[in-house]
Amino acid sequence: MRSASTRTTRVVASLAGTAAVALVLAGCSGGSTGGSTSGSAITIGTTDKVTVLDPAGSYDNGSFAVMNQVFPFLMNTPYGSPDVEPDIAESAEFTSPTEYTVKLKPGLKFANGNDLTSSDVKFTFDRQVAINDENGPASLLYNLDSVAAPDDTTVVFTLKSADDQVFPQILSSPAGPIVDEDVFSATELTSDEDIVAGKAFAGQYEITNYDFNNLISYKAFDGYEGVLGAAKSDQINVKYYADSSNLKLDIQEGNIDVAFRSLSATDIDDLKGNDKVKVVDGPGGEIRYIVFNFDTQPFGAKTPEADPAKALAVRQAVADLIDRDEIADQVYKGTYTPLYSYVPAGLTGATESLKAPYGDGNGGPDADKAKSTLEAAGVTGPVELSLQYSNDHYGPSSGDEYALIKDQLESSGLFTVNLETTEWVQYSKDRTTDVYPAYQLGWFPDYSDADNYLTPFFLTENFLANHYDNPAVNDLILKQAVTTDPAERTAIIEQIQDAVAADLSTVPYLQGAQVAVTGTTIEGTSDTLDASFKFRYGALTKG
Amino acid sequence: MTAELSSPDPASAAPPAVLRRRSSSGGGGLGRYILVRFLLIIPTVFILVTLVFLLMRTTGDPITAALGGKLTGPQLQERIHEAGYDRPLIVQYLEYLGNIVTGNFGSTLSDNRPVTQVLLTYGGATLELAFYALIVAFIVGIPLGMVAAYFRDRAPDAFLRIFAILCYATPVFFAGLLLKLVFAVWLQVLPVAGRASTGAELQMQFLQSKTGIYLIDALQTGNPEVIGDVLSHAVLPGVALGLLTAGVFLRLVRTNLIGTLGTDYVDSARSRGVTEFRLVRKHAYRPALIPIITVIGLQIALLLGGAVLTETTFEWKGLGFQLAHYLQARDFVAVQGIVALLAVIVAVTNFIVDIIAALIDPRVRY
Amino acid sequence: MTATTAQTRPKRSLVSRIPLFEQVRSSIGLQRGMLIAGVVITGVFVLTAVFAPLLAPYGFAQLRSDGTPFGAQEAPNAEHLLGTTVGGYDVLSRVIWGAQTAILTIVVSVILSIFAGIFLGLVSGYIGGWLDRVLVVVCDAIYAFPSLLLAIVMSIVISGGRSDLFGGILAASISITVVFIPQYFRVIRAETVRIKSEAYVESAKVIGTRAPRIVFRHVLRNATRSLPLLLTLNSSEALLTLAGLGFLGFGIEPTAAAEWGYDLNKSLSDVTSGIWWTSLFPGLAIVLAVLGITLLGESLNDLADPRLRGRRAALDTGAPTPDNGAEPHGAGATGESIVADDASTADDEERVS
Repeated sequence: MRSASTRTTRVVASLAGTAAVALVLAGCSGGSTGGSTSGSAITIGTTDKVTVLDPAGSYDNGSFAVMNQVFPFLMNTPYGSPDVEPDIAESAEFTSPTEYTVKLKPGLKFANGNDLTSSDVKFTFDRQVAINDENGPASLLYNLDSVAAPDDTTVVFTLKSADDQVFPQILSSPAGPIVDEDVFSATELTSDEDIVAGKAFAGQYEITNYDFNNLISYKAFDGYEGVLGAAKSDQINVKYYADSSNLKLDIQEGNIDVAFRSLSATDIDDLKGNDKVKVVDGPGGEIRYIVFNFDTQPFGAKTPEADPAKALAVRQAVADLIDRDEIADQVYKGTYTPLYSYVPAGLTGATESLKAPYGDGNGGPDADKAKSTLEAAGVTGPVELSLQYSNDHYGPSSGDEYALIKDQLESSGLFTVNLETTEWVQYSKDRTTDVYPAYQLGWFPDYSDADNYLTPFFLTENFLANHYDNPAVNDLILKQAVTTDPAERTAIIEQIQDAVAADLSTVPYLQGAQVAVTGTTIEGTSDTLDASFKFRYGALTKG
Repeated sequence: MTAELSSPDPASAAPPAVLRRRSSSGGGGLGRYILVRFLLIIPTVFILVTLVFLLMRTTGDPITAALGGKLTGPQLQERIHEAGYDRPLIVQYLEYLGNIVTGNFGSTLSDNRPVTQVLLTYGGATLELAFYALIVAFIVGIPLGMVAAYFRDRAPDAFLRIFAILCYATPVFFAGLLLKLVFAVWLQVLPVAGRASTGAELQMQFLQSKTGIYLIDALQTGNPEVIGDVLSHAVLPGVALGLLTAGVFLRLVRTNLIGTLGTDYVDSARSRGVTEFRLVRKHAYRPALIPIITVIGLQIALLLGGAVLTETTFEWKGLGFQLAHYLQARDFVAVQGIVALLAVIVAVTNFIVDIIAALIDPRVRY
Repeated sequence: MTATTAQTRPKRSLVSRIPLFEQVRSSIGLQRGMLIAGVVITGVFVLTAVFAPLLAPYGFAQLRSDGTPFGAQEAPNAEHLLGTTVGGYDVLSRVIWGAQTAILTIVVSVILSIFAGIFLGLVSGYIGGWLDRVLVVVCDAIYAFPSLLLAIVMSIVISGGRSDLFGGILAASISITVVFIPQYFRVIRAETVRIKSEAYVESAKVIGTRAPRIVFRHVLRNATRSLPLLLTLNSSEALLTLAGLGFLGFGIEPTAAAEWGYDLNKSLSDVTSGIWWTSLFPGLAIVLAVLGITLLGESLNDLADPRLRGRRAALDTGAPTPDNGAEPHGAGATGESIVADDASTADDEERVS
């Protein structure tokens, strides 16, 4: 048994060795050589899916994960911090309320030798807006009016509304990767093949080999001079899996060095007890919450027995009854942690606004409290609640998660839950057309700022379309976005969370942790599992 | 398990009944039969393509599938409108037909790749898997079928028949799970999944003439380690899918051998004192082989027809694997392209099988 | 020929009228063993489904008893004979309740396929002409459609993507129906075309009896020989499709019904962590159910086919040959019908004389 596995390892190692030679040869012929760092190639496995490499044509986690390695940003989050700093820029600041000026570092180059100048930056954002691809992130640039490049290293963004505190964050979002104007088309998406062949890369890594959704090979790019510093490992291979159990077996058997996103809770739990691997985790940006439709929920505005007070009592009772610890432990085995606010822990301004007012006041459930809340509002008899979840969008455990929530609500005797699930496309349509009284949603942030957890949800016109309307909250959200003083802004953000916690537009209950499983010789994983929610391969080393 | 096969029963392969039973009306001859049979491919493909088009449009659009968790309702609507998915169905359909007729299969909606490229890349992988599966099916199914026929109604026969039924009754994902557990985890002699290990894949990537069929690529590298690596990855998926087909072959060989063993031709051989074993091996085998050959043609169509579950279980990135993925993404263009290709393959294979059948047995003809 | 034997044979006793009794009696040796095994397994399967509420220790969606939760992934113990799943359900209960879902799917799909297939086959064969040609081409085309793909799409179309019990069952049933209609269609149509041209139908027309009725009666009588096999095939395919759907994540919501494929899907990652009980039992349930049904169908088919029955038994009764349109998995593909044609043609002639 043992000999078989060591033999396999040896074969793999020797193969990797010859491949590395081939890669180096290929790299030399290309004109640029890798960095001076040592160590053999690191193989990372993931169940992410890439759609397109072109930043104008994709708005998904899998593609963005690749872009983060190979494209530079004007603003980016350094290791270990949720807040953005200039990346390939020397400085970035508001030079007037509606003008955001970025100064690039001088002498920047792309991996293909082209100069990276302000003209490329202007090109990047102009094409993002012009192409406005149906799968692209152009809508994030909602506040961008125009871009100007007065000289080679200066870029001036003219904004529609003044003092936008979120704009620097947007420059680090999926709308922000800087591309080469000599390789990319100004009017349409550029194919992955052309991007790879044109070596239009200027991030920590360049792609040397691209086998779509199967295998991507990276080589450190020594021309990167941004905030993250040079990549610590020269060679990275990323294998794409479709099935997390195969990923788990490969990391367990030592066929790959790192498994990142997404192993099931059972897998991670099992690997924690395995000496041959390390399980490393960090804060995650993903949150799960139950949305209430203010029109159609029990006692909602459009129901026959409409009564705002009773409706609020129903939401409060749900918040009282949910046992977050039980869900996190039983269903997710600690790969998700209880969430007591709208902004997840780890981000600047995060509170625990729901902890004190609901349940036992310590995060646990309290059936008596829920009962008295309902009685006080005059709700008699069990409340009938239709609860929807998506069985195919938020991972394989949603079914178990919601079966448990149903059980928690029903075992109090206060609710009769009618649990239903619908496939994702129909779900997305139904949830915004008032079909679901209460339903599951999750959120993956576009950028690491509390704003991204508030603006989309609690403005009067929001992404949830759940008819939540609190003018005070609406004004506060608009205000924090233009408050230039950080401390003042944080205070407002905390205030917003408290206000929404009283209204319970949604009941947040889980926050996903980022979990990577690595071989024992891999170091640096914890450096990149930070609140930027960007997994940088450049932090990893293999001893 | 069979549920994944495009058409579960090769009996389908029987020439369309409209042609088959009309033998008495006579006339025409082989040439006419071939022509008519060939022309029938067109409506078959047309019907399937239309069916897929209509079904896919009722399941939603790719934009909502991708961004329903990111954008607001109005934002989604705007993008859907820009992409033209809200136009009348008939307009979209005619446009699609027009494109197909001019040979333009378009680009996938979810990842912006030419459909022809998708078909070529993943078709090769599926072809390769089908090839391995057929080899397994041959090696297992035919000899065991002969053994079963030889030991007819005795213990080995019973055992083999139950084995054949088990091959059919075990869903491929369950079989795959067990195979992986035994060979990859406990014994650690075979890889878990995928088509090659990273090192081997990298070596093959640098070939000038990449075919996408790993076995050929591995041979091109001339590196025995790469070849071994590719072959070791092929074992489990090949066995999982192959056993399914092996069960079919086993039963087919057994049934037909028993049939031919009862014919005058074999009886006379038996009366000449030929041993029963030799009878099975020499005399009865040949006539029984003819139906097997026809079924092989069908099995190729079936194996190509979307081994969704096998490919998913073993990370074998072929057409079936991609089909499931594109379906989830509501990528109409990609799904239509893949199904159209499968339809053409199945229709053409059926055509060839019918022609072979007609050549062997003139009664089948028009 | 079935007609003639029925007339000459003495009136059958009441016992022998129990379905399958005759078959078991007329079988011998190995064949009898396989038939009995098939009957027993299928019987257990059906009984389990019917008496699931009595047999199962807990409900399929039950997570706690007496206020204490079962806990997730508990190894088999006295309280949970087969352990608990990752979601905290009792494995034994879900396996037992799963039989109910499986049977429901089978029944719905068989009923739908039979009615649609027989109706279309009769109409197509009897009316003939363009309608016939079009139907044949359409059936051949649909046959080439990947059934699992069809099932996935159907599950989205039928229920609007909602995975409740009804939607899940209908999705699996209808997609299997669509794939199986062409098979029933083919068998029934071939019979209809043949019988339509028989002398007695022609003469009936002359006398003024309604020919369609005669054709219908004869077709059904003759087709009953090949239908049982088709039925069992249809049943096992329905079960496997349901499991495949569940496995791919298009299955039934776990609090709406227990479904083996869904449970298998959920237990994938358990297996690699050494938790074997969550996947083994639902997997075995699928295998056993399909095995039982297929054994039953195959044995019945063998008994109806003189070439395939036991040697001695074949001499006893000159049972008719089935039309080979209905063999499982290619065992009856083109080739075989070539081989079998001689036998069945002779038989056919004898039958009509």
